[in-house]
Amino acid sequence: MAFDFDASVMWDSVPILMTGIRLTIIITIIGLFFGFIFGATAGLLKLSRNVLLRKLAGAYVESIRGTPLMVQVMFLYFGLPMAVGMRIPPLTAGIVTIALNSGAYIAEIVRGAVQSINPGQMEAARSIGLTRFQAMRYVVWPQALKRMIPPLGNQFIISLKDTSLLVVIGVGELTRTGQEIISVNFRAFEVWLTVAIMYLALTMTISKILSVVEEKVFHVKR
Amino acid sequence: MPMIEIKNLHKYFGDLEVLKGIDLSIEQGEVVVIVGASGSGKSTLLRCINKLEELTSGEILVDGYSLTDKSTDINMIRTEAGMVFQQFNLFPHMTTLQNVTLGPLKVRRMKSAEANKFGMELLKKVGLEDKAKVYPDQLSGGQKQRVAIARSLALRPKVMLFDEPTSALDPELVGEVLEVMKTLAREGMTMVVVTHEMGFANEVADRVIFVDDGVILEQAPPKEFFSNPQFERTRTFLGKVQNPNAG
Repeated sequence: MAFDFDASVMWDSVPILMTGIRLTIIITIIGLFFGFIFGATAGLLKLSRNVLLRKLAGAYVESIRGTPLMVQVMFLYFGLPMAVGMRIPPLTAGIVTIALNSGAYIAEIVRGAVQSINPGQMEAARSIGLTRFQAMRYVVWPQALKRMIPPLGNQFIISLKDTSLLVVIGVGELTRTGQEIISVNFRAFEVWLTVAIMYLALTMTISKILSVVEEKVFHVKR
Repeated sequence: MPMIEIKNLHKYFGDLEVLKGIDLSIEQGEVVVIVGASGSGKSTLLRCINKLEELTSGEILVDGYSLTDKSTDINMIRTEAGMVFQQFNLFPHMTTLQNVTLGPLKVRRMKSAEANKFGMELLKKVGLEDKAKVYPDQLSGGQKQRVAIARSLALRPKVMLFDEPTSALDPELVGEVLEVMKTLAREGMTMVVVTHEMGFANEVADRVIFVDDGVILEQAPPKEFFSNPQFERTRTFLGKVQNPNAG
């Protein structure tokens, strides 16, 4: 059986795939927005002087990092409703999963970056009378943020690709849209190739945005 | 009332007793130089004065306020006692002017224009008004330390604490930092200086304190301290720092 590559299939699938891309972008942006808030909070709590807060943040990070994202999303969407008797819409479940999941990894990125700042910076800030919070906000955090950019970029790209796992709960994101097209036209090669190119375009956009941020905001030379 | 009063200060790091009962009183306007071998506890003593180290026991009063009293605002004490570090610890993401004005802006709640004007005065005082817009990584070590001094002065402290301010500098850059410190001393600033610069101690100090193994072994005005040390340990130490190549 000869394989007959048909480029027009790729072009024809683009309009439908665009609706999937739209959802992928929405899930990624909202998910990572909350993921960063969760991560920054948990990361800073891990550095807290309060043992209970440290343990709490640690438990969050460990439990999320130690379980597969697909299990997390199925637990949230199929499992939890059985216990609480209320079903969350798939899109919400997907966004919450991405936020919780990326947050656990971002927590470690934040903790590592903050710890990498010389303790002399905190001491100098405290010695001019800044409170611990002010010293963190004006002195340590801005420097740590600069160091976070490369690993954050990594995590953003991973999380974007992880949204493809949301097919299991039927969120109509890019991968799901691809599956749906193939179920009608059976052109797996062309459609998956198109889907792959679209993911690549998205992840390259993230890389580009972050390198511009590094250069313009943090004056990192490349 | 003394500017700084230290009563029976003990400091442990774990099981290690670093300060073994320090009593010290420093008057307003006095310049005290603390010398001693590395590991003798002199830097720890200095760091206790603005509570960068927790005291294990004993009491320290700065301008009459007790560091151990729960009602004392520790951030207020820190603005009263400016600290200059061996490693400068300038904030690398801020210009020199921003380094200097951060305290006035955030701690003293000064208006931006006023803080900038005051910051420029201080940079001028340390001879660096032309470097206001420059980031610390473009400065020499001596320039960095002068900015760090200006940053501390920006809180209008009553005491300045110097923790080996010239030890990380290339020899040719030591002089410019000592000059700034001498100016401060002449203006009547109360200063506590941990240093190995015996020339500075001799010229500027009102009193030299020798810390050995966690206690103040002896203290005297510099002429007396350098010409006629009372203890053998002091003589040995002075012999080593004054003739580093001998013995």
